[in-house]
Amino acid sequence: VSAADTKPDPERARLERRYRRLLRCYPSGQREEMLGVLLAAARPGQRAPGARQTVNLVACGLAIRARRAVAAGPWQDALAVVSLVVPVLMLVIAILDVAVEVRQQVTIDAYPPGIPFWRLGLVPAGWLAVVLLLGLAGRRRTAAVIASALLALALVNPLSEVVHLTGTEYVAVPLLLYTASVTPVVLTSLAACSLAFSAGPRRGLAITGRWRACLMIAGLAVVFGNPAVTYLVSPSASWDGFGSLILDALTIAVAAVVTRVPGTVGWRIAVLVAGPMLLLDVASIYFGGSTASVAVPLLGILLFAVLMWPVAIASWRGRVRLSR
Amino acid sequence: MQEPTFLILTALAAGPQHGYAIITDAGRTSGGVTRLQTGTLYMALDRLSSAGLVEPDREDVVDGRLRRYYRLTDDGAAELAAETERRRASAAVAAQRLRARLAGGIA
Repeated sequence: VSAADTKPDPERARLERRYRRLLRCYPSGQREEMLGVLLAAARPGQRAPGARQTVNLVACGLAIRARRAVAAGPWQDALAVVSLVVPVLMLVIAILDVAVEVRQQVTIDAYPPGIPFWRLGLVPAGWLAVVLLLGLAGRRRTAAVIASALLALALVNPLSEVVHLTGTEYVAVPLLLYTASVTPVVLTSLAACSLAFSAGPRRGLAITGRWRACLMIAGLAVVFGNPAVTYLVSPSASWDGFGSLILDALTIAVAAVVTRVPGTVGWRIAVLVAGPMLLLDVASIYFGGSTASVAVPLLGILLFAVLMWPVAIASWRGRVRLSR
Repeated sequence: MQEPTFLILTALAAGPQHGYAIITDAGRTSGGVTRLQTGTLYMALDRLSSAGLVEPDREDVVDGRLRRYYRLTDDGAAELAAETERRRASAAVAAQRLRARLAGGIA
């Protein structure tokens, strides 16, 4: 196969334009060199990249960008801390949920008979304990895959709400997604992603230290375990609107303050943990609670959650190498 | 080590090569079985560079196109040597068992 043609050729020029478009997926430093290789390898008379080549170029370009993004030190350190904090946080929330169920069972006879109430809360709690222990034992990839399976369970609630209510009457999908619980989806996505893409919870613990980690988890548990905590303290109280926004701000403050020592890692942790929830709350307050308000951030979060699957699988297969 | 990685390191073991030369070399080495896609090559080169197994060597311009050459680092050579030894050992086991199987069939 010849090298790049020297005489102007409209078909060649068209092929080059198409390759250039695909190469936008890559960091700018690689594009010119890759263009030369692609044109050198092109068949005589070829006018367009094939389907397989197109998929390969786009997928590899995105993979390079993703790898570079998470390989950058501070983000990887932030993810390592998240891989410690979020599974513990979820475990605490699961235990809080069990406490709420027990209290409901004891104080008011609200629980439907025939359902073993303890099972609902304890199964995720046990599952999370396994994820956490595997992570701390250095088996972060296995932990990531198990967390991804948990994500499938977390997605069941929002999706079943959609399926259940679609077609019965007009129901705005965003409102529907909003009423379905999204917090577990966000947290489970974070757990799977951080386990897959970082050096794991042991590294996280080394960065924060034991006390800082405990402080962070306690602060976050008050915020993310909010309905359960409020109910346990005073069953008649409730938080919504600005109260929720204040709690999210508190989350960021807690995360930023307690992780000051590693320098720029702190705010990254705050962005990772509190960002999605804050986005939801700001949107719902700004749009005055209208249904359209939460559509974009919610769908974004769900998309993010679903995208964690290929991430976990790529990590499992060793395609995502991490510098330690 | 995945096949594309092995073929890329093997191509660079002969000396610095540019991207297109690595693709043709990998095709030859694998007896035409593995046809390295350009995206796969650059994804692997990006990963191998950050792992310190390969590094950029020099650049030149041919027919108005940029060519960047890559070379194997000492770490890369050590990694390739270890992988070659692993492959040699498993191939030896396979060959030995095939010989035994053949001898058993004859006897």
